[in-house]
Amino acid sequence: MNALLAIEDYHLAIPTFDGPAQVLNGIDLALDAGETLGIVGESGCGKTVLARTILGIGPGRAACTGGRILFEGRDVAAFSERDWRGIRGVKISMIFQDPMTYLNPLFTIGRQLGDAIAAHARAQGAPRPGRAERRTRAAELLAQVALREPQRALDSYPHQLSGGMRQRVLIALALSGKPRLLIADEPTTALDVTVQAQVLRLLRDLVDRLRLTVVMISHDVGAIAALTERIAVMYAGNVVEEGPTTRVLARPLHPYTRGLLAALPAIDGEIRRLAGVPGTIPSLIDPPTGCRFHPRCSRATAICAAERPAMRRADPAHSVACHHADLS
Amino acid sequence: MPTSPDVTPLHPSPLLHAIGLVKVFHASGGREVRAVDGVGFSIGTGEVLGIVGESGSGKSTIARMVLRLIEPSAGRIMFAGQDITALGDEAMRRLRGDMQIVFQNPHSALNGRRTIGEAIAEPLRVQTIARGAALHARVDRLLDLVSLPRAFRHRYPHELSGGQKQRVCIARALALEPRFLVLDEPTSALDVSVQAQILDVLGELRRELSLTYLFISHNLAVVRTLCDRVLVMSQGRVVEEGPVAAVFANPSQAYTRTLLDSVPRLPRI
Ligand SMILES: Nc1ncnc2c1ncn2[C@@H]1O[C@H](COP(=O)(O)OP(=O)(O)OP(=O)(O)O)[C@@H](O)[C@H]1O
Ligand SMILES: Nc1ncnc2c1ncn2[C@@H]1O[C@H](COP(=O)(O)OP(=O)(O)O)[C@@H](O)[C@H]1O
Ligand code: SF4
Ligand SMILES: [Mg+2]
Ligand SMILES: [Mg+2]
Repeated sequence: MNALLAIEDYHLAIPTFDGPAQVLNGIDLALDAGETLGIVGESGCGKTVLARTILGIGPGRAACTGGRILFEGRDVAAFSERDWRGIRGVKISMIFQDPMTYLNPLFTIGRQLGDAIAAHARAQGAPRPGRAERRTRAAELLAQVALREPQRALDSYPHQLSGGMRQRVLIALALSGKPRLLIADEPTTALDVTVQAQVLRLLRDLVDRLRLTVVMISHDVGAIAALTERIAVMYAGNVVEEGPTTRVLARPLHPYTRGLLAALPAIDGEIRRLAGVPGTIPSLIDPPTGCRFHPRCSRATAICAAERPAMRRADPAHSVACHHADLS
Repeated sequence: MPTSPDVTPLHPSPLLHAIGLVKVFHASGGREVRAVDGVGFSIGTGEVLGIVGESGSGKSTIARMVLRLIEPSAGRIMFAGQDITALGDEAMRRLRGDMQIVFQNPHSALNGRRTIGEAIAEPLRVQTIARGAALHARVDRLLDLVSLPRAFRHRYPHELSGGQKQRVCIARALALEPRFLVLDEPTSALDVSVQAQILDVLGELRRELSLTYLFISHNLAVVRTLCDRVLVMSQGRVVEEGPVAAVFANPSQAYTRTLLDSVPRLPRI
């Protein structure tokens, strides 16, 4: 069976003043329809670049230096601008960390949703829906994301809504084209904890009700665990561990995954010193040799600096790229 | 046991004592916003008091009133036994060295054209406390305190990660050897892994320098790792107060329960 999305040994370099940054360094990921995948990793590890590259809106001067990305079995590199118009916001939708950047401050929410509804009708060759119909459908979309008082929200400008409401509007916009794939890049990071929990509950509910296929990106394992069945841990342009969320959390095999878990402050149980991951993410222009994590890894030995660890399976669904992972 | 947090200091000799603080802002259209509506608390020397509450509950407004960065509409602030509510500019300037603040966003808190060394030395230079070799040594010591390499003094903010920039902000806040530090969401703009590092540094500094903190956050799990006592705020008022362990184990308010339930946590396995 063909995966809905397949990323195969994908490499991406971004030219910078100091030389090319090897931002994606051989990513392998596959996603079937109906699946939910979380991508977790520290800021700067390449999550957003990966998400935007899937949508064909990656950094301008970036160059693919190996591998490919297939959507519905077709290589996205071969898509024309016309192909993309039938995909972006239609088959694949994205929600971003900062909703304000993607809402037009000059237009009401009703107008922006109405425009999206009209654009989708046009893309499907359907007649342009009238004013009243656009408004009805926009209100339905807002009701779907559990926005209270949808009629008032329709007449509001973005700045008149709270951060949580704006994120709901963005989710409604993303869902307006009934996408096959939803990519959510840090959808809750900019929100305060209570609102974050509400938005996570909403996404969970939409996944269940609409059987959405979702890629959710975050630096917070806790947020990812609330939503996705599978989890991929990214470090400095590589996927270093991947598997079912419950299994990866119960038995993290990569030292970096363990560090991310240990960094999470707990709400109950013994109060412990947060271990976290010492040090910072390396430069991707001149990345460490071998395992890119080795300068920060307490288990590193000579082989770690010399050879890049291959992805190995601990069981059919759970794999890890570490020379010293205990696979038994 | 205290009957009213407005009047009863919980500590025999609190370093900071806030009494009946009120702040009314005049928003557009003549609307009044009671951002803080009668809040009192005290912080003992060496203690860490946490303030939690959802966005807009008045946490930052309290922080800014306590440091006299904005004037309270009503209420009093006592610091080290002295009423500072109406202290003049000159007296307040002398007190500044004793009370410092670290903000949420380290990216906007640093001037992009100044080196890290200059940023950290700035308060020392302004108050003409040290110069020349002595100043250089003080900056080295401050970099050590927040576990940054000394060579970072020559770097510019854009060359640092968010967590590193926040360490610089903490070092700068420590330059005048304050006794009291207000931390307004110091980790909210940072990754969880970097957050863990910053919380660790703050815990170390507290032990090493016997500091007193007012620590503001909307995340209860973060408060729990660092604070001794916590105030829970909603709509400008304190809805619950107590030792962290007690409040978390047995919250008396539904609102506190909601905040607790909101913290993302790993599924039990
Ligand atoms: N200068 C101001 N003028 C008018 N209203 C203000 C001003 N500053 C704050 N407010 C209002 O006061 C209330 C409390 O704001 P405050 O910044 O103290 O909240 P907070 O608890 O720190 O929230 P957050 O978690 O989002 O930082 C809010 O309703 C806010 O809109
Ligand atoms: N337009 C760009 N030009 C140059 N470098 C970029 C650009 N966008 C991202 N990068 C670099 O790519 C790396 C990954 O960035 P990003 O995908 O945004 O990380 P994440 O989303 O995981 O925080 C970082 O080193 C970042 O500095
Ligand atoms: S390969 Fe070596 S350096 Fe990399 S994570 Fe494993 S033990 Fe650490
Ligand atoms: Mg990102
Ligand atoms: Mg605030």
